[in-house]
Amino acid sequence: MPLLRNGELVCNDNWILIEDESDLPKNHSTMLISLTRYLALQHSETNSAVGVLLTPTDDVHLLSPHKRKLKLIGIEFPSFTEGRGYTQARLLRKRIGYQGELRAFGDIREDQVSFMQRNGIDSFHFADQPDKALVQQLVSRFKTGYQPSYQYPG
Amino acid sequence: MYQYTKEDRALVQSRVAEFRDQVERYRDGKLDEDEFKQLRLRNGLYYQRHAYMLRVAIPYGVLSSKQLHTLGRIAEQYDKGYGHFTTRQNIQYNWPELHDVPDLLQDLADVDMHAIQTSGNCIRNTTTDPLAGAVADEIEDPRPWCELIRQWSTLHPEFNWLPRKFKIAVTGSANDRAAVQVHDIGLRLIKNDKGETGFEVLVGGGLGRTPYIGSVINEFLPTADLLTYLNAILRVYNQEGRRDNLYKARIKILVNAKGIDAFKKRVDLEWAQSRFEDDTFTKEHIDQLKSQFPAPKPLATELPEHASEVNSNPLFNQWYQSNTTAHRDSRRRIVFISLKSATAPAGDATAEQMQAIAKLASTFSDSEIRSTHEQNLVLPHVPVGDLYALWKALVKENLATANIGKLSDMIVCPGLDFCSLANAGTITIYDQINARFDNLDYQHELGDISIKISGCMNACGHHHVGDIGILGVEKNGAEWYQLTLGGHAGNKAALGKRLGKAIPQSDVADAIEHILQTFIDQRHEQESFASTFERIGLEPFKENVYATAA
Repeated sequence: MPLLRNGELVCNDNWILIEDESDLPKNHSTMLISLTRYLALQHSETNSAVGVLLTPTDDVHLLSPHKRKLKLIGIEFPSFTEGRGYTQARLLRKRIGYQGELRAFGDIREDQVSFMQRNGIDSFHFADQPDKALVQQLVSRFKTGYQPSYQYPG
Repeated sequence: MYQYTKEDRALVQSRVAEFRDQVERYRDGKLDEDEFKQLRLRNGLYYQRHAYMLRVAIPYGVLSSKQLHTLGRIAEQYDKGYGHFTTRQNIQYNWPELHDVPDLLQDLADVDMHAIQTSGNCIRNTTTDPLAGAVADEIEDPRPWCELIRQWSTLHPEFNWLPRKFKIAVTGSANDRAAVQVHDIGLRLIKNDKGETGFEVLVGGGLGRTPYIGSVINEFLPTADLLTYLNAILRVYNQEGRRDNLYKARIKILVNAKGIDAFKKRVDLEWAQSRFEDDTFTKEHIDQLKSQFPAPKPLATELPEHASEVNSNPLFNQWYQSNTTAHRDSRRRIVFISLKSATAPAGDATAEQMQAIAKLASTFSDSEIRSTHEQNLVLPHVPVGDLYALWKALVKENLATANIGKLSDMIVCPGLDFCSLANAGTITIYDQINARFDNLDYQHELGDISIKISGCMNACGHHHVGDIGILGVEKNGAEWYQLTLGGHAGNKAALGKRLGKAIPQSDVADAIEHILQTFIDQRHEQESFASTFERIGLEPFKENVYATAA
């Protein structure tokens, strides 16, 4: 699946998504698991996951104690009109102070990237190959916004 | 009025370029129908029954002469020569071609206007008192606060994909002319015991298929906290508002499901943490906005305080009585221009009329015009000595109908003729009522009375809050109408009570006649319809309407 990170298409991404029903692979840490599973594993010695994939109803505050351990938080957008992920991203960055990678999953469209970036999302997992030149044009279209605390990156 | 800065201009110009590009990608097949729909809606472009419809924002109902002139030219160049003013102080064009819309938006941007967020599930145009800054009963001018909200809500990165649309109204006067109790958020400027200004904040009001009067969520919010508090409400709504059912997605449903106390607790919890994080603003910024809404220049003291022609010309007198009201400067009057003549749909103005009004505003009203939620226009600052000349000019343009607040000053949604949601026609009902009660003297005898007509349950014609509400419903393929009485949108907002079973289209004017006759029979002296209804209740009206109809 094509991944856009900091405006560049990335080919060698080694993160894997593990469904709740599947066993966790051994000796692998760059995997994304559900919030419920991640929290349940906190007291287990086999826990090596450093990634969580959030659904729109997940409460991001639950990740606050783990913010330094986590390397990747994914935010699921089941459809491109789903708006909860924007608030989740904002809270993770601004309130919780998460500094790792924040990646959008699901129904991601080029025209949304700029809004997502302003909430602190920095990589985008597209279903189909995005038009990189178009994304660059879209994210550089607006130079300033009326909401100074939601900065444009760069 | 507010003057765009370099940054404002850059933003609306970028927005036009962005939309031009989106239209091109759509036409090239690079944007699918669903995605283009969402993107065009956020620029006010709907697809209606026959064609595209473009809704242009008139921020808090304030227009300059130059802007209104351009709105007229747009009607001529891209539409069929007219535009429709809406209940949210905006203007709609019913017939633009898709390929013309980028150019149309460019023409708007060139006079500091846009169509951003006039539709879609995002924060819509903030509305306010059309008499702001002119009327005497004001605690503080709401317009600088509306401009602050306009800026904050424009392309807000967190709140552009809400569960449903979101409407904010502000009043700066104790006498509410902005219907703040029937908005998602209503803001009332008030003073506390210490003489400080703040907002009383209401939440969860709204009409539509489940009407609610808003509840007070904050009795006194210091003005400096306005945007962080709005942010907290929006953040809770964005996370918890229902997204599974279009008809249960407005914030009123969430507030009602949780109860106002629990909802307030949730907002306060969020706000306790967020109030120093996002959407703070500086005192310099709001002071700068306030400086952009100066009072009109004082007039020379020798100018008249009375329009002497009221004694010599009864038609002018009738217009003066119903279409003008007191200005805070006794040498000026506030003038309403009625867009409710019997010859055009309610709220419609032709290109020529818009351009004529633009010119009259520059001659008589400091080049300023307001649009009202009753779908009329206002010249806010007219010197008393100019009223007669203004009236004569308005008569020539068929814009001097002396019916403001009267029976024929109806609020009417576009209805089945234009709107794809409607169940029944509204324009035909408007025409029927105009034809039946065409005597202005009779209307003036009735006093102030509001008829509000919606073509479906979505209630764009605000039928719930009319003295007489008319709701179009479909019954076995025919258009029927459900009447309500006793609704009110002002200070003591109330929802109308259902009169009885729906009546067929052909009988609506008869039913209205029975209602009015009941009112006249039961009225004490100069009592208003609303007071009479409050005193005698629904029954006498019901008996008269249904006894004769049966």
